[in-house]
Amino acid sequence: MNILNNTYHEIIMLMSIGLFISTAEYLVKIKIFATDGLLSWNVMQIRWENSSKNWLAQTAFKFINPRGLSAIFVLRCILLLALAFAPVGSLNAWLCLTGLLITVLLSSLVTFYGSDGSDQMTLLIIVTLFLVFCPIGHANPTLLKIGIWFVGLQSCLSYAVAGLAKLFSNEWRRGTAIKDVFNTRTYGSPWALSLLNNRPWLNKFLCWNVILMETLFPLSLFLPFPLAVCFWIWGFTFHFLTAVIMGLNSFLWAFMATYPAIYFIHTQLA
Amino acid sequence: MKTEFTTELVYTGVVGLLLALWFIATVICQFRESKASNFIRHHLDTFGMIPLWTFFAPSPGKRDYHLLFRDKYTDQSVGEWQQMEITEERKLWSCIWNPQKRDKKVISDVVQNLVSTMPHYRSGEGDYRLLMFSMPYLIVLHAVSLCKRVPETESRQFMLAESCGYIKETDPAFILLSVFHQI
Repeated sequence: MNILNNTYHEIIMLMSIGLFISTAEYLVKIKIFATDGLLSWNVMQIRWENSSKNWLAQTAFKFINPRGLSAIFVLRCILLLALAFAPVGSLNAWLCLTGLLITVLLSSLVTFYGSDGSDQMTLLIIVTLFLVFCPIGHANPTLLKIGIWFVGLQSCLSYAVAGLAKLFSNEWRRGTAIKDVFNTRTYGSPWALSLLNNRPWLNKFLCWNVILMETLFPLSLFLPFPLAVCFWIWGFTFHFLTAVIMGLNSFLWAFMATYPAIYFIHTQLA
Repeated sequence: MKTEFTTELVYTGVVGLLLALWFIATVICQFRESKASNFIRHHLDTFGMIPLWTFFAPSPGKRDYHLLFRDKYTDQSVGEWQQMEITEERKLWSCIWNPQKRDKKVISDVVQNLVSTMPHYRSGEGDYRLLMFSMPYLIVLHAVSLCKRVPETESRQFMLAESCGYIKETDPAFILLSVFHQI
Protein backbone atom coordinates (compact mmCIF):
# COMPACT_ATOMS: atom_id res chain seq x y z
CA MET A 1 0.00 0.00 0.00
CA ASN A 2 2.90 2.30 0.84
CA ILE A 3 4.52 1.67 -2.55
CA LEU A 4 1.23 2.41 -4.27
CA ASN A 5 0.79 5.66 -2.36
CA ASN A 6 4.39 6.68 -3.04
CA THR A 7 3.94 6.01 -6.74
CA TYR A 8 0.80 8.14 -6.82
CA HIS A 9 2.52 10.86 -4.80
CA GLU A 10 5.31 11.07 -7.39
CA ILE A 11 2.84 11.05 -10.29
CA ILE A 12 0.79 13.83 -8.68
CA MET A 13 3.82 16.00 -7.88
CA LEU A 14 5.33 15.79 -11.37
CA MET A 15 1.99 16.27 -13.10
CA SER A 16 1.15 19.21 -10.82
CA ILE A 17 4.40 21.06 -11.54
CA GLY A 18 3.84 20.73 -15.30
CA LEU A 19 0.19 21.72 -15.14
CA PHE A 20 0.99 24.69 -12.89
CA ILE A 21 3.53 26.03 -15.41
CA SER A 22 1.21 25.36 -18.33
CA THR A 23 -1.72 27.10 -16.58
CA ALA A 24 0.43 30.10 -15.66
CA GLU A 25 1.48 30.30 -19.33
CA TYR A 26 -2.17 30.42 -20.37
CA LEU A 27 -2.75 33.18 -17.81
CA VAL A 28 0.05 35.22 -19.37
CA LYS A 29 -1.45 34.60 -22.80
CA ILE A 30 -5.07 35.20 -21.74
CA LYS A 31 -5.47 37.72 -24.59
CA ILE A 32 -5.73 34.89 -27.11
CA PHE A 33 -9.21 34.24 -25.68
CA ALA A 34 -10.28 37.90 -25.98
CA THR A 35 -12.83 39.03 -28.56
CA ASP A 36 -9.97 39.95 -30.89
CA GLY A 37 -7.83 36.95 -29.96
CA LEU A 38 -6.95 33.85 -31.96
CA LEU A 39 -9.25 31.68 -29.85
CA SER A 40 -12.12 34.14 -29.53
CA TRP A 41 -15.31 32.48 -28.32
CA ASN A 42 -17.19 34.39 -31.06
CA VAL A 43 -15.70 31.88 -33.49
CA MET A 44 -14.86 28.89 -31.34
CA GLN A 45 -18.48 28.44 -30.26
CA ILE A 46 -19.34 27.27 -33.78
CA ARG A 47 -17.92 23.90 -32.82
CA TRP A 48 -20.50 23.57 -30.05
CA GLU A 49 -23.55 24.57 -32.10
CA ASN A 50 -25.24 21.25 -31.44
CA SER A 51 -24.84 21.62 -27.69
CA SER A 52 -26.35 25.10 -27.54
CA LYS A 53 -29.62 23.81 -26.03
CA ASN A 54 -27.94 21.71 -23.38
CA TRP A 55 -28.18 23.56 -20.03
CA LEU A 56 -24.90 22.12 -18.77
CA ALA A 57 -23.09 23.27 -21.88
CA GLN A 58 -24.82 26.65 -21.65
CA THR A 59 -23.56 27.05 -18.08
CA ALA A 60 -20.05 26.04 -19.08
CA PHE A 61 -20.04 28.46 -22.05
CA LYS A 62 -20.61 31.39 -19.65
CA PHE A 63 -17.05 30.94 -18.38
CA ILE A 64 -15.48 31.08 -21.83
CA ASN A 65 -14.27 34.65 -21.92
CA PRO A 66 -10.99 36.18 -20.73
CA ARG A 67 -12.36 36.98 -17.27
CA GLY A 68 -14.02 33.59 -16.78
CA LEU A 69 -10.99 31.71 -18.07
CA SER A 70 -8.65 33.79 -15.89
CA ALA A 71 -10.76 32.76 -12.89
CA ILE A 72 -10.60 29.12 -14.01
CA PHE A 73 -6.81 29.24 -14.43
CA VAL A 74 -6.24 30.98 -11.08
CA LEU A 75 -8.53 28.45 -9.38
CA ARG A 76 -6.57 25.64 -11.04
CA CYS A 77 -3.27 27.01 -9.70
CA ILE A 78 -4.76 27.20 -6.17
CA LEU A 79 -6.08 23.64 -6.46
CA LEU A 80 -2.68 22.40 -7.63
CA LEU A 81 -1.01 23.98 -4.62
CA ALA A 82 -3.63 22.50 -2.30
CA LEU A 83 -3.19 19.09 -3.95
CA ALA A 84 0.54 19.19 -3.28
CA PHE A 85 -0.13 19.47 0.47
CA ALA A 86 -3.14 17.13 0.72
CA PRO A 87 -2.27 13.54 1.74
CA VAL A 88 -2.59 11.10 -1.16
CA GLY A 89 -5.93 9.32 -1.06
CA SER A 90 -7.56 11.79 1.33
CA LEU A 91 -10.98 13.27 0.67
CA ASN A 92 -9.38 16.72 0.37
CA ALA A 93 -7.04 15.48 -2.34
CA TRP A 94 -9.95 13.95 -4.23
CA LEU A 95 -11.92 17.20 -3.99
CA CYS A 96 -8.90 19.04 -5.41
CA LEU A 97 -8.71 16.49 -8.23
CA THR A 98 -12.43 16.94 -8.96
CA GLY A 99 -11.95 20.70 -9.15
CA LEU A 100 -8.90 20.25 -11.37
CA LEU A 101 -10.77 17.94 -13.70
CA ILE A 102 -13.63 20.44 -14.04
CA THR A 103 -11.25 23.32 -14.81
CA VAL A 104 -9.34 21.24 -17.36
CA LEU A 105 -12.53 20.10 -19.10
CA LEU A 106 -13.91 23.66 -19.12
CA SER A 107 -10.81 25.12 -20.73
CA SER A 108 -10.66 22.25 -23.22
CA LEU A 109 -13.93 23.57 -24.72
CA VAL A 110 -11.94 26.39 -26.28
CA THR A 111 -8.38 25.04 -26.50
CA PHE A 112 -8.85 22.24 -29.02
CA TYR A 113 -6.59 24.28 -31.29
CA GLY A 114 -3.29 24.88 -29.54
CA SER A 115 -3.28 22.01 -27.08
CA ASP A 116 -0.68 19.29 -27.47
CA GLY A 117 0.24 15.77 -26.40
CA SER A 118 1.36 16.95 -22.97
CA ASP A 119 -2.08 18.42 -22.31
CA GLN A 120 -3.65 15.11 -23.32
CA MET A 121 -1.32 13.12 -21.10
CA THR A 122 -2.09 15.45 -18.20
CA LEU A 123 -5.84 15.13 -18.76
CA LEU A 124 -5.46 11.36 -18.92
CA ILE A 125 -3.61 11.33 -15.59
CA ILE A 126 -6.14 13.63 -13.88
CA VAL A 127 -9.11 11.52 -15.00
CA THR A 128 -7.35 8.38 -13.79
CA LEU A 129 -6.56 9.97 -10.40
CA PHE A 130 -10.15 11.20 -10.12
CA LEU A 131 -11.52 7.71 -10.78
CA VAL A 132 -9.18 5.71 -8.58
CA PHE A 133 -9.41 8.03 -5.58
CA CYS A 134 -13.20 8.45 -5.76
CA PRO A 135 -14.49 7.72 -2.22
CA ILE A 136 -16.83 4.98 -3.57
CA GLY A 137 -13.81 2.80 -4.36
CA HIS A 138 -12.12 3.47 -1.00
CA ALA A 139 -8.81 3.65 -2.92
CA ASN A 140 -8.52 -0.12 -2.64
CA PRO A 141 -5.19 -1.64 -3.80
CA THR A 142 -6.72 -3.30 -6.89
CA LEU A 143 -8.20 0.00 -8.03
CA LEU A 144 -4.94 1.83 -7.42
CA LYS A 145 -3.02 -0.79 -9.39
CA ILE A 146 -5.47 -0.55 -12.30
CA GLY A 147 -4.90 3.22 -12.43
CA ILE A 148 -1.11 2.85 -12.40
CA TRP A 149 -1.21 0.20 -15.11
CA PHE A 150 -3.42 2.42 -17.25
CA VAL A 151 -1.10 5.44 -16.98
CA GLY A 152 2.03 3.33 -17.55
CA LEU A 153 0.61 1.49 -20.55
CA GLN A 154 -0.66 4.71 -22.14
CA SER A 155 2.82 6.16 -21.78
CA CYS A 156 4.42 3.09 -23.38
CA LEU A 157 1.80 3.16 -26.14
CA SER A 158 2.60 6.81 -26.83
CA TYR A 159 6.30 6.06 -27.30
CA ALA A 160 5.68 2.96 -29.41
CA VAL A 161 3.16 4.71 -31.69
CA ALA A 162 5.45 7.72 -32.10
CA GLY A 163 8.35 5.42 -32.94
CA LEU A 164 6.42 3.26 -35.40
CA ALA A 165 4.94 6.32 -37.14
CA LYS A 166 8.50 7.58 -37.61
CA LEU A 167 9.67 4.17 -38.81
CA PHE A 168 7.11 4.33 -41.63
CA SER A 169 8.22 7.82 -42.59
CA ASN A 170 10.71 8.32 -45.38
CA GLU A 171 12.03 11.54 -43.91
CA TRP A 172 12.79 9.90 -40.56
CA ARG A 173 14.39 6.83 -42.10
CA ARG A 174 16.50 8.96 -44.47
CA GLY A 175 17.64 11.01 -41.50
CA THR A 176 16.46 14.46 -42.58
CA ALA A 177 13.49 14.93 -40.25
CA ILE A 178 15.24 16.33 -37.17
CA LYS A 179 17.31 18.84 -39.13
CA ASP A 180 14.16 19.95 -41.00
CA VAL A 181 12.31 20.52 -37.72
CA PHE A 182 15.28 22.36 -36.18
CA ASN A 183 15.35 24.58 -39.26
CA THR A 184 11.92 26.05 -38.43
CA ARG A 185 11.48 29.10 -36.23
CA THR A 186 8.47 27.40 -34.64
CA TYR A 187 10.28 24.40 -33.14
CA GLY A 188 13.91 24.82 -34.14
CA SER A 189 16.87 26.77 -32.96
CA PRO A 190 19.85 28.20 -34.86
CA TRP A 191 22.51 26.65 -32.61
CA ALA A 192 20.99 23.16 -32.80
CA LEU A 193 20.70 23.55 -36.55
CA SER A 194 24.33 24.60 -36.84
CA LEU A 195 25.32 21.37 -35.07
CA LEU A 196 23.41 19.25 -37.58
CA ASN A 197 24.07 21.22 -40.72
CA ASN A 198 26.55 19.46 -43.03
CA ARG A 199 26.68 16.44 -40.72
CA PRO A 200 24.40 13.88 -42.42
CA TRP A 201 25.79 11.04 -40.27
CA LEU A 202 24.73 12.87 -37.10
CA ASN A 203 21.25 13.52 -38.54
CA LYS A 204 20.85 9.87 -39.43
CA PHE A 205 22.14 8.74 -36.05
CA LEU A 206 19.71 11.02 -34.18
CA CYS A 207 16.72 10.07 -36.34
CA TRP A 208 17.36 6.34 -35.94
CA ASN A 209 18.09 6.81 -32.26
CA VAL A 210 14.64 8.35 -31.77
CA ILE A 211 12.94 5.73 -33.98
CA LEU A 212 14.52 2.77 -32.18
CA MET A 213 14.27 4.03 -28.63
CA GLU A 214 10.65 5.16 -28.99
CA THR A 215 9.56 1.95 -30.73
CA LEU A 216 11.33 -0.28 -28.21
CA PHE A 217 10.44 1.77 -25.14
CA PRO A 218 7.65 -0.61 -23.98
CA LEU A 219 10.35 -3.26 -23.52
CA SER A 220 11.48 -1.31 -20.46
CA LEU A 221 8.52 -2.88 -18.66
CA PHE A 222 10.04 -6.36 -18.99
CA LEU A 223 13.79 -5.91 -19.34
CA PRO A 224 16.18 -6.42 -16.40
CA PHE A 225 16.47 -3.31 -14.25
CA PRO A 226 19.83 -1.99 -15.59
CA LEU A 227 18.59 -2.18 -19.18
CA ALA A 228 15.22 -0.70 -18.29
CA VAL A 229 16.97 2.22 -16.62
CA CYS A 230 18.79 2.92 -19.90
CA PHE A 231 15.41 3.47 -21.59
CA TRP A 232 14.20 5.74 -18.78
CA ILE A 233 17.37 7.81 -18.82
CA TRP A 234 17.06 8.05 -22.59
CA GLY A 235 13.40 9.17 -22.15
CA PHE A 236 14.37 11.87 -19.68
CA THR A 237 17.22 13.10 -21.89
CA PHE A 238 14.94 13.11 -24.93
CA HIS A 239 12.26 15.21 -23.19
CA PHE A 240 14.88 17.49 -21.62
CA LEU A 241 16.45 18.17 -25.02
CA THR A 242 13.10 18.76 -26.74
CA ALA A 243 12.35 21.27 -23.96
CA VAL A 244 15.70 23.04 -24.42
CA ILE A 245 15.86 22.95 -28.22
CA MET A 246 12.19 23.01 -29.21
CA GLY A 247 10.63 24.82 -26.26
CA LEU A 248 8.34 21.86 -25.50
CA ASN A 249 8.66 22.36 -21.75
CA SER A 250 5.33 20.84 -20.71
CA PHE A 251 6.13 17.46 -22.31
CA LEU A 252 8.98 16.95 -19.86
CA TRP A 253 6.69 17.13 -16.82
CA ALA A 254 3.68 15.36 -18.34
CA PHE A 255 5.70 12.38 -19.53
CA MET A 256 8.00 12.21 -16.51
CA ALA A 257 4.81 11.99 -14.42
CA THR A 258 4.12 8.63 -16.06
CA TYR A 259 7.55 7.18 -15.22
CA PRO A 260 6.71 6.26 -11.61
CA ALA A 261 3.85 4.18 -13.07
CA ILE A 262 6.22 2.53 -15.55
CA TYR A 263 8.66 1.78 -12.72
CA PHE A 264 5.85 0.28 -10.62
CA ILE A 265 4.74 -1.99 -13.48
CA HIS A 266 8.37 -3.01 -14.01
CA THR A 267 8.71 -4.04 -10.35
CA GLN A 268 5.49 -6.04 -10.63
CA LEU A 269 6.64 -7.88 -13.74
CA ALA A 270 10.21 -8.45 -12.53
CA MET B 1 -20.22 -3.85 5.70
CA LYS B 2 -21.10 -6.35 3.00
CA THR B 3 -22.96 -3.71 0.95
CA GLU B 4 -19.92 -1.44 1.19
CA PHE B 5 -17.66 -4.25 0.00
CA THR B 6 -19.96 -5.03 -2.95
CA THR B 7 -20.14 -1.35 -3.97
CA GLU B 8 -16.35 -1.13 -3.81
CA LEU B 9 -16.00 -4.27 -5.91
CA VAL B 10 -18.52 -3.14 -8.52
CA TYR B 11 -16.89 0.29 -8.68
CA THR B 12 -13.44 -1.27 -9.16
CA GLY B 13 -14.84 -3.40 -11.99
CA VAL B 14 -16.50 -0.41 -13.65
CA VAL B 15 -13.34 1.71 -13.47
CA GLY B 16 -11.26 -1.19 -14.77
CA LEU B 17 -13.64 -1.63 -17.69
CA LEU B 18 -13.75 2.10 -18.43
CA LEU B 19 -9.97 2.42 -18.47
CA ALA B 20 -9.63 -0.72 -20.59
CA LEU B 21 -12.11 0.70 -23.13
CA TRP B 22 -10.29 4.02 -23.08
CA PHE B 23 -7.00 2.25 -23.80
CA ILE B 24 -8.53 0.22 -26.65
CA ALA B 25 -10.10 3.38 -28.11
CA THR B 26 -6.68 5.07 -27.94
CA VAL B 27 -5.10 2.17 -29.83
CA ILE B 28 -7.86 2.28 -32.49
CA CYS B 29 -7.53 6.05 -32.91
CA GLN B 30 -3.84 5.83 -33.74
CA PHE B 31 -5.02 4.64 -37.19
CA ARG B 32 -6.36 8.07 -37.96
CA GLU B 33 -7.86 7.28 -41.36
CA SER B 34 -9.92 4.32 -40.17
CA LYS B 35 -13.71 4.53 -39.93
CA ALA B 36 -13.69 3.52 -36.28
CA SER B 37 -11.18 6.23 -35.46
CA ASN B 38 -13.25 8.87 -37.27
CA PHE B 39 -16.39 7.73 -35.46
CA ILE B 40 -14.74 7.86 -32.04
CA ARG B 41 -13.12 11.24 -32.66
CA HIS B 42 -16.16 12.95 -34.15
CA HIS B 43 -19.00 11.37 -32.19
CA LEU B 44 -17.68 10.22 -28.84
CA ASP B 45 -14.61 12.23 -27.94
CA THR B 46 -16.17 15.56 -26.94
CA PHE B 47 -13.30 16.70 -24.72
CA GLY B 48 -10.37 15.45 -26.78
CA MET B 49 -9.60 12.67 -24.32
CA ILE B 50 -8.40 10.22 -26.96
CA PRO B 51 -4.85 11.18 -27.81
CA LEU B 52 -3.03 10.80 -31.09
CA TRP B 53 0.52 9.84 -30.18
CA THR B 54 2.25 10.21 -33.57
CA PHE B 55 4.38 13.21 -32.58
CA PHE B 56 6.21 14.81 -35.53
CA ALA B 57 5.45 11.80 -37.74
CA PRO B 58 4.99 10.61 -40.38
CA SER B 59 5.72 14.09 -41.80
CA PRO B 60 7.39 16.46 -39.38
CA GLY B 61 6.48 20.15 -39.69
CA LYS B 62 9.24 21.57 -41.87
CA ARG B 63 7.73 25.00 -42.52
CA ASP B 64 6.97 28.14 -40.59
CA TYR B 65 3.56 29.59 -41.22
CA HIS B 66 2.86 33.27 -41.74
CA LEU B 67 -0.37 35.17 -41.70
CA LEU B 68 -0.46 38.31 -43.82
CA PHE B 69 -3.22 40.74 -44.67
CA ARG B 70 -3.82 43.84 -46.77
CA ASP B 71 -6.61 46.38 -46.95
CA LYS B 72 -8.72 47.79 -49.73
CA TYR B 73 -9.76 51.38 -49.11
CA THR B 74 -12.90 53.31 -50.01
CA ASP B 75 -11.12 54.78 -53.07
CA GLN B 76 -10.52 51.14 -54.22
CA SER B 77 -6.75 51.37 -53.77
CA VAL B 78 -5.03 48.40 -52.13
CA GLY B 79 -2.51 48.71 -49.30
CA GLU B 80 0.74 46.86 -48.59
CA TRP B 81 0.85 43.36 -47.16
CA GLN B 82 1.37 43.34 -43.40
CA GLN B 83 2.35 40.36 -41.33
CA MET B 84 0.35 39.53 -38.25
CA GLU B 85 2.90 39.06 -35.48
CA ILE B 86 2.20 35.70 -33.93
CA THR B 87 5.48 34.29 -32.86
CA GLU B 88 8.32 35.62 -30.80
CA GLU B 89 11.84 34.24 -30.81
CA ARG B 90 12.38 31.71 -28.02
CA LYS B 91 14.43 32.79 -25.05
CA LEU B 92 17.03 30.87 -23.08
CA TRP B 93 14.51 30.05 -20.34
CA SER B 94 11.88 28.70 -22.79
CA CYS B 95 12.75 25.18 -21.66
CA ILE B 96 11.11 26.06 -18.33
CA TRP B 97 8.74 28.88 -19.17
CA ASN B 98 7.40 29.21 -22.71
CA PRO B 99 4.03 30.97 -23.05
CA GLN B 100 4.76 31.82 -26.71
CA LYS B 101 4.36 28.21 -27.73
CA ARG B 102 0.58 28.50 -27.42
CA ASP B 103 0.16 31.11 -30.16
CA LYS B 104 2.51 29.19 -32.42
CA LYS B 105 0.67 25.94 -31.83
CA VAL B 106 -2.75 27.54 -32.40
CA ILE B 107 -1.76 29.01 -35.74
CA SER B 108 0.08 25.85 -36.73
CA ASP B 109 -2.97 23.68 -35.85
CA VAL B 110 -5.36 26.03 -37.64
CA VAL B 111 -3.23 26.17 -40.79
CA GLN B 112 -2.68 22.41 -40.82
CA ASN B 113 -6.41 21.89 -40.37
CA LEU B 114 -7.09 24.33 -43.21
CA VAL B 115 -4.53 22.69 -45.48
CA SER B 116 -5.89 19.22 -44.74
CA THR B 117 -9.49 20.27 -45.49
CA MET B 118 -8.68 22.16 -48.70
CA PRO B 119 -8.62 19.04 -50.95
CA HIS B 120 -12.04 18.08 -49.61
CA TYR B 121 -13.47 21.45 -50.64
CA ARG B 122 -11.65 21.34 -53.97
CA SER B 123 -13.01 17.90 -54.86
CA GLY B 124 -16.55 19.02 -55.75
CA GLU B 125 -17.27 21.66 -58.39
CA GLY B 126 -17.90 25.05 -56.84
CA ASP B 127 -17.47 23.60 -53.37
CA TYR B 128 -14.22 25.45 -52.80
CA ARG B 129 -16.06 28.60 -51.74
CA LEU B 130 -17.55 26.62 -48.87
CA LEU B 131 -14.07 26.64 -47.35
CA MET B 132 -14.95 30.15 -46.22
CA PHE B 133 -17.47 28.67 -43.81
CA SER B 134 -15.02 26.24 -42.28
CA MET B 135 -13.87 26.82 -38.74
CA PRO B 136 -10.13 27.28 -39.37
CA TYR B 137 -10.86 29.80 -42.14
CA LEU B 138 -13.18 31.74 -39.84
CA ILE B 139 -10.60 31.75 -37.05
CA VAL B 140 -7.99 33.26 -39.34
CA LEU B 141 -10.45 35.76 -40.83
CA HIS B 142 -11.64 36.79 -37.40
CA ALA B 143 -8.10 37.29 -36.16
CA VAL B 144 -7.00 39.43 -39.11
CA SER B 145 -10.23 41.42 -39.25
CA LEU B 146 -9.62 42.69 -35.73
CA CYS B 147 -6.13 43.96 -36.45
CA LYS B 148 -5.65 47.74 -36.53
CA ARG B 149 -7.18 49.59 -39.48
CA VAL B 150 -7.71 53.13 -40.68
CA PRO B 151 -11.22 54.62 -41.08
CA GLU B 152 -10.92 54.38 -44.89
CA THR B 153 -10.52 50.60 -44.78
CA GLU B 154 -13.38 48.95 -46.59
CA SER B 155 -12.36 45.33 -46.83
CA ARG B 156 -9.46 43.07 -45.97
CA GLN B 157 -7.79 40.14 -47.68
CA PHE B 158 -5.54 37.62 -45.97
CA MET B 159 -2.86 35.27 -47.16
CA LEU B 160 -1.45 32.21 -45.49
CA ALA B 161 2.12 31.57 -46.46
CA GLU B 162 4.87 29.18 -45.51
CA SER B 163 8.60 29.64 -45.39
CA CYS B 164 11.53 27.37 -44.90
CA GLY B 165 13.02 28.63 -41.65
CA TYR B 166 16.61 29.53 -40.84
CA ILE B 167 18.29 27.96 -43.89
CA LYS B 168 16.36 29.07 -46.97
CA GLU B 169 16.42 25.94 -49.08
CA THR B 170 13.20 26.84 -50.89
CA ASP B 171 11.38 30.10 -51.56
CA PRO B 172 8.44 31.12 -49.39
CA ALA B 173 5.16 29.96 -50.89
CA PHE B 174 1.58 30.94 -50.37
CA ILE B 175 -0.94 28.40 -49.14
CA LEU B 176 -4.17 30.29 -49.39
CA LEU B 177 -5.24 33.68 -50.67
CA SER B 178 -8.63 34.81 -49.47
CA VAL B 179 -11.06 37.09 -51.25
CA PHE B 180 -11.53 40.61 -49.88
CA HIS B 181 -13.88 40.44 -46.91
CA GLN B 182 -15.83 43.45 -45.75
CA ILE B 183 -14.87 44.40 -42.22
